[in-house]
Amino acid sequence: MDYINVIIADLSQLSRLGLITLLNRMKYPFHIREISTPDKLTALPAKDQTGIFLISSAFLRKCPPSLIHSLQTRLDSMARLLISDGEPGPEKNFRFSDIIDSTDPGKNITRKLEKQLSLIYTQKEGPDSPEGISDREKEVLRLVAVGLTNKEIGDKLFISSHTVITHRKNITAKLGIKTIAGLTMYALINHLIVPEEKPDTQ
Amino acid sequence: MAEVIHLNYHLLPIISRFGIHLGFGDKTIEQLCTEYNLDLNFFLVILNSYHDKDYFPRKHLQGFPVKLIIEYLRKSHDYYLTIKIPLIDKLLKQLSLKDKGLNGESMQLIDKFFNEYKDELSTHIQREEEKVYPYIFTVEEAFRQGQANSDLVALIRKYSIDDYESEHDNVEDKLYDLQNIIIKYLPPPLDMNLCHTILMEMFRLETDLYDHARIEDMVLVPKVRYMEKWIEEHFTP
Repeated sequence: MDYINVIIADLSQLSRLGLITLLNRMKYPFHIREISTPDKLTALPAKDQTGIFLISSAFLRKCPPSLIHSLQTRLDSMARLLISDGEPGPEKNFRFSDIIDSTDPGKNITRKLEKQLSLIYTQKEGPDSPEGISDREKEVLRLVAVGLTNKEIGDKLFISSHTVITHRKNITAKLGIKTIAGLTMYALINHLIVPEEKPDTQ
Repeated sequence: MAEVIHLNYHLLPIISRFGIHLGFGDKTIEQLCTEYNLDLNFFLVILNSYHDKDYFPRKHLQGFPVKLIIEYLRKSHDYYLTIKIPLIDKLLKQLSLKDKGLNGESMQLIDKFFNEYKDELSTHIQREEEKVYPYIFTVEEAFRQGQANSDLVALIRKYSIDDYESEHDNVEDKLYDLQNIIIKYLPPPLDMNLCHTILMEMFRLETDLYDHARIEDMVLVPKVRYMEKWIEEHFTP
């Protein structure tokens, strides 16, 4: 699984840092890019990229209509989240996947991001890895490797513990790895998780 | 004896576990057993069950006293902890020195994984030696003398040998996983030959552990289970 691209378009450095802190706490393999001014948006990645695009209302208000229009096309395959400050802006011209209130507590913001991530993992239909592990299985594997229980994994991915167990059985059958320690090692080798995420004690 | 070793060199660690040193000339197995004060029948049964995977005289093995079986199991524990594991450890360190640059990260992962495995194996063995075996001796003594008090019956009810049987799997699975990860998923190390040596040592350890567990689970456990049941039936207040 590749890293998940996250683009943060926000004028305020403090807000960007705040979001980055929140994101890092979620322990996903994020690849985060910050964009501080609209002119830098032109250097955005090509079309069809998946990931999360976070943009603040203030930032959006600074964007010329032509840019907003081209953004809409280019970011079509990304989850687009508006960080709203409550002031009306040109967001009506832009279709958002969800809206985050900038005064929301961190927990709510995390929940909204989790929801988008879950959708990303479900929709991702890239070619399977050589071992035949699907993206959904990779996501389960990732969460097993960071030490979550079946129940916690189910809650995070909006699936039942029973489904989690089925995924885990398939993963073990496909990889030929039975223990959590082994799965964690596989996840580390394949960069599904970063080393700090691994629980220290087994 | 020498002929047996020529026939199957995998038996070398087994005879060394019984304390037999090399340089035994043309002595027969019987002569060596007398010399080293070993139970000839038990020695032969163990040699045969390691030599031929299909030969496993469960009933016959169960006829030996628990003390003999546990003594042997203890010696194998000692062999794993003082010879086999340190050897694999040393080889892994050599590999990691050579692979510092290219596969540094992977080598660290293997090291860490193996260390965890080592700890788990030691804890498992320690538990067997400090808790399980003394328990078995108590049960056997009571069975032999045909005497048991209510404390022992309570102990049997609280901790039965069946609890212990289920603990083997995880230790075995971990070693298997490590081998599989090295074979299938890690980038190839610079020193292929060294890596092959390590894998072969791991396979040997795995086979040995498997045979060891087989004796525990199929010989020792049923024997103890039988005695537990007998004590419970005869001494339940």
